[in-house]
Amino acid sequence: MQFASRSYSADSISAVQELYHSNGWTDGLPIVPPTREAVEACLEWVMMPPDQLIGIEPVRGLAITAEKLAINAVMAGCLPMHFPVVVTAWTAMMQEEFLMHGATASTGGCAVLIILNGPIRLEIGASGSFNALANSDRATAVIGRAIRLCLINLLDDRPGVIDRSTLGHPGKFSYCVAEDEEDTSWLPLAEHRGVPKGASSVTVLAAGAPRQLMNEWTTKPEEILETFAAEMRANMRHYSIHPGNYALIIPKQLREHLQAGGWTKADIATFIHERARIHRREWADVGKGAVVRDRGDSVYTAMDSPDQLLVVAAGGPAGGFGAVIPPWLGNKSYAVTLPIGVCVDCEPPKN
Amino acid sequence: MFEVLDPTPGTAPPAGQLAPRLDTLEGKTIGFISNGKEGTKGFFKHLDQILREEYGVANVVSRTKSNYSAPADPHIVAEIKGWDAVVSGLGD
Repeated sequence: MQFASRSYSADSISAVQELYHSNGWTDGLPIVPPTREAVEACLEWVMMPPDQLIGIEPVRGLAITAEKLAINAVMAGCLPMHFPVVVTAWTAMMQEEFLMHGATASTGGCAVLIILNGPIRLEIGASGSFNALANSDRATAVIGRAIRLCLINLLDDRPGVIDRSTLGHPGKFSYCVAEDEEDTSWLPLAEHRGVPKGASSVTVLAAGAPRQLMNEWTTKPEEILETFAAEMRANMRHYSIHPGNYALIIPKQLREHLQAGGWTKADIATFIHERARIHRREWADVGKGAVVRDRGDSVYTAMDSPDQLLVVAAGGPAGGFGAVIPPWLGNKSYAVTLPIGVCVDCEPPKN
Repeated sequence: MFEVLDPTPGTAPPAGQLAPRLDTLEGKTIGFISNGKEGTKGFFKHLDQILREEYGVANVVSRTKSNYSAPADPHIVAEIKGWDAVVSGLGD
């Protein structure tokens, strides 16, 4: 396999680490040496030549090749079986509606949340159970890290260079969650977003940090969801009023109460859309009176419509916890869902 | 011994070129492209005044992007060729 990348020789594993750290090619943690063999194995897994064009970054016109994604994926700790997820996530991130440059350069401290659906979760051992959103398993940890290393090395998304975040959040190291499709009666997120049943997929969301909540003192769906809606209202008051793709992470304990009441994801989205809204005058309650102006009675909703809500079943089996993951900046960036290795909209060529 | 690969593009991204510096601002048309954030308002208002009063600028054209996190809208970019210079401002 012919690579376009320059190669370096290093005498030891520690020499490799110093080479990569001193060039600013890491996230600060040790990396796995991207040897020719390891990179080749990733490319063979997805049956792509090194110069396969994954896409053109829309703002600066940067060509993203499979070779460069594979090098960074290996550095992050990815095995070849993880690489299709990295390729698909990057393909999704390069869709214009995702606004990758804005989301990753912003002062707003956004990370790219990766949500996995479909059989690939089980094939790669991605867990949607205990400690979801963090170090729940190897697959989600290394896939999320690969996304960040690709941003650093391919888009120069280094702090103070292209990444102008005032504050980051821990998800900027790795931010990937697999939906717990086996332990819920709900449709997977990807099916709600048009991916056929049985296909694996990736959803990317330009996202803030998770805002964890707890309500262990009711079994009523409306009361449980009111806690989620309140957290969204808090985000709208304290952070950003812009409507967009919010994600709700609902672990099993709260999920079972909702499911027992017959609530589907669509029902949840409809309820949340009604409840997650604030008056502009509420900004005066949190020190932002200067921007209320004469629009205090204006009502702002967290989403433009219920279908903007991404409801994800994930989290450990016990505990009345949940999380709201807010969008980076409302509808400036939209969540994108793509199937892995499948062309859903493709039609056979017409003769 | 490890043989390892460079994770960066290795080549500089395609970039535009700066226009030649103007000899004078007198009688020129200057375009402002604002990202639309709060901080741009006072800044551009003040800059407009300085350019006209102290440097003899003939016209100042102010435009605001529809999305402050995205590149300037195509219709704004299309106007640039009618200007002698551009000030692109962030309001953070």
